[in-house]
Amino acid sequence: MIGSGRFRRYATGYAFILPWILGLTFLVAGPFLAAGYFSLCEYPPLKDPMYIGGANYAELLGDPSFHRALGVTMLYAAAAIPLGVILAMTLAMLLNARIRGQSFYRVIFYLPHLVPTVVVAILWMWIFNAKAGLLNFVIGRLFAAGDWWTGLFFDVAALKVGKFVIHGGACWLLAAPALAAATWGPLARRLWPRENSRLRQLVCLAAIMAIVLAALPLLSAAAHTLRPEDVRKFRSPGWLTDGDPMPAGVGFAPSWALWSLIIMSMWSVGQMAVIYLAKLQDVPVELYEAAEIDGASWWRKTVSVTIPMISPVILFNVVMAIIGAFQVFAEPYIMTGGGPEDKTRFVAMFVYEQAFRYHRLGYASAVAAVLFVIIIALTLVAFRVSKKHVHYSGR
Amino acid sequence: MSIGDRKTPWHLRTIVHLVLLCGGAFFVLPLVWMVATSLKPLDQTLQRPESLRSVLLATGYTATIDGNDCDVTREREIALEPNDVLYIVRPKPTADGSVPFLAGELTLTFGPDLWRKIPSFTEAELAQMNAPVTAAVKVLADKANPYDPAAGVLHLASGRSVPASIVREVRRPADGAPLWLVRQWIPADTDTKGVSSPFVKVDRAWGILRADELRTGPKIIPQNYPVALRRVHFARSLANTLLVCLMCVGGTIVSSVIVAYGFAFLEFPGRNTLFGLTLATIMVPFVVTMIPVYLMWRSVGWVGTFKPLWVGTWLGSAFFIFLLRQFFLGLPKDLLDAARIDGCSELEILWNVVVPLSKPVIAMVALFTFLGAWKDFMGPLIYLSHPKQFTLSLSLQSFASQHGGTPWHLLMAASTVFSLPLIVLFFFAMKTFMRSVATTGIKG
Repeated sequence: MIGSGRFRRYATGYAFILPWILGLTFLVAGPFLAAGYFSLCEYPPLKDPMYIGGANYAELLGDPSFHRALGVTMLYAAAAIPLGVILAMTLAMLLNARIRGQSFYRVIFYLPHLVPTVVVAILWMWIFNAKAGLLNFVIGRLFAAGDWWTGLFFDVAALKVGKFVIHGGACWLLAAPALAAATWGPLARRLWPRENSRLRQLVCLAAIMAIVLAALPLLSAAAHTLRPEDVRKFRSPGWLTDGDPMPAGVGFAPSWALWSLIIMSMWSVGQMAVIYLAKLQDVPVELYEAAEIDGASWWRKTVSVTIPMISPVILFNVVMAIIGAFQVFAEPYIMTGGGPEDKTRFVAMFVYEQAFRYHRLGYASAVAAVLFVIIIALTLVAFRVSKKHVHYSGR
Repeated sequence: MSIGDRKTPWHLRTIVHLVLLCGGAFFVLPLVWMVATSLKPLDQTLQRPESLRSVLLATGYTATIDGNDCDVTREREIALEPNDVLYIVRPKPTADGSVPFLAGELTLTFGPDLWRKIPSFTEAELAQMNAPVTAAVKVLADKANPYDPAAGVLHLASGRSVPASIVREVRRPADGAPLWLVRQWIPADTDTKGVSSPFVKVDRAWGILRADELRTGPKIIPQNYPVALRRVHFARSLANTLLVCLMCVGGTIVSSVIVAYGFAFLEFPGRNTLFGLTLATIMVPFVVTMIPVYLMWRSVGWVGTFKPLWVGTWLGSAFFIFLLRQFFLGLPKDLLDAARIDGCSELEILWNVVVPLSKPVIAMVALFTFLGAWKDFMGPLIYLSHPKQFTLSLSLQSFASQHGGTPWHLLMAASTVFSLPLIVLFFFAMKTFMRSVATTGIKG
């Protein structure tokens, strides 16, 4: 009787996970193994696969367009992932500074995540449009027009009076001592005995505004040191259609077109910042208090408390981002079609094209297999590197 | 920006706000630009905006010439010479539907580019597009050549002569009538009062722009939306998208909840191995399994139907199984035991005890499945071939690729409508969204 009871219990258990056993077999594990087998086959459309050994892999080794695709993907990952992590961390840490309107910023950062991929691609095609796009409008305003900074900043401020103020580089002279007086500990303690005096706040505000304004003539001066013929020669990049490397002259640098996709990927970073923020807020306050008692500076606290405490999340996101980078498909497919000159043909797109455009299913499977090996290798590297640095608290 | 402190100094807070606002602008501006473009007329999306204001809002020009209200289009791009700005004037039809004839003395100044941009058109199209042009042309065409090249003047119907130069002589495609595209030059000292030109050359040196004739104001064209929605076959695509989304959401919830329950509460040999395997499959990229899965669906004959897009979700999804199982493990075990002692079957426990307690996390799973299915592009691209089955993603992409990406105002209008449901959903279910971010810490 006991035996049959146990059998019944086991049967119930298997019955519950039955759908997933089917899914695992037919949609994940089976296909995974099948892909491995197909990669060893010549597989013409509508015929049965023929075993040909490692011929596909041999072909891969000598296929320059595959090498280009791999290079493009690697460059993209190498640029987009660190930039994304840094940007997201910066935003999250700024948000974590207990300021008002935190939920407002959170919503704003999260919004791009809600936009469908196709819309993101088309929207950014329009932003990167060389002639009438938003980005080149801004760049044109900043660099190409004659009196460039008046254009943009006075559009924003609509304050012609500002020109007078801005031209006076005297802002710097005023701002620096004011800020020092307001913030530099020893001096501030002498000047403003009360912690939060209204006067001190006003001085601070004035100093900040002065510094912001004073930065403008500096930029302006920098622009004016350009000779007029340089300014006239200035050409904003054609973005998605521009295959020139940036920085120019470096052979393996990403092209402008690839940079476009990298910049675009930064747009969805806000959602990652929201995740980091959630984790930052889980960091126990006592740790900071303890660090402060030990006299730790802001930087010290960031490096020794904040980053270790959220390192598991960073690691997880980096690993997911690596996997994601090797699957980038929709954006280049819609926005550039792989061009110019293969400079944005990512590996995933290469696989898709080999499989569904050229109907070389065996060869495409071989590429997919290589892709998988690379992903696993990079993931392992990420874990190995982080072993020393990632801190898992008690759990 | 001290981290984790309860008190951040006042001035630092201001700086943080400034930086965050700049960051926020980067995330929001593209969306603003999308909506702004969707409300602009075509001609103002084809040229670089002139000011920040024209980034956000199209400028409409209107004019009253000889008592007739006219629509004015500003054409910076088809000017004949650098620094030219052409204003093309089209009188509005009067109440009885007729197009008011401007003055008798009309001249055309448009550049060769305009003709290149309208390479072929029928008489009817021409009439609809800019009726006054045909009318204007007729005035010239009906007469003997009014242009005297030797003197460089144009003899107008009123008997006056104006300095002008012929740009080119063409024949109207419809009936072969000769047209003279004439460029009129009016020196600054000429009395321009009596001269109405449909194409006023604006040039500081000539000073022809008459402030009392040209008015500017914001121009918003909501009519872009119906046009765009027709072009992407919105109703049909929406129905297709919703069908796929609902099947995916239903499938993922039902299967993942059941499977997760099995992994969380039921005992059977190999449970932990299977669960470990499940976790490992989260790492397997879609690209790797794409080809065999495609071949499988093809052998069943489902390629070209919606089934490959949703059938798989009824078999569970590794990530959601993991998520739900973790949540289930946190539920109070006593409740389950009590139900079991009461003689409930496992399915009854699942339905009566676990599901009611897990509503938030199930809502989260539903939301993310919906989001994923709504945004999905590669799946429909691989499996759907007939335009009648296209989901919104695919319709929008095919509309964009058909037209080489030029009708940006329509593309942006369609894009806005396509993204709107998710954004609305977000504002209704913000709590669920944010909670999910906090608990999973993973992509949606």
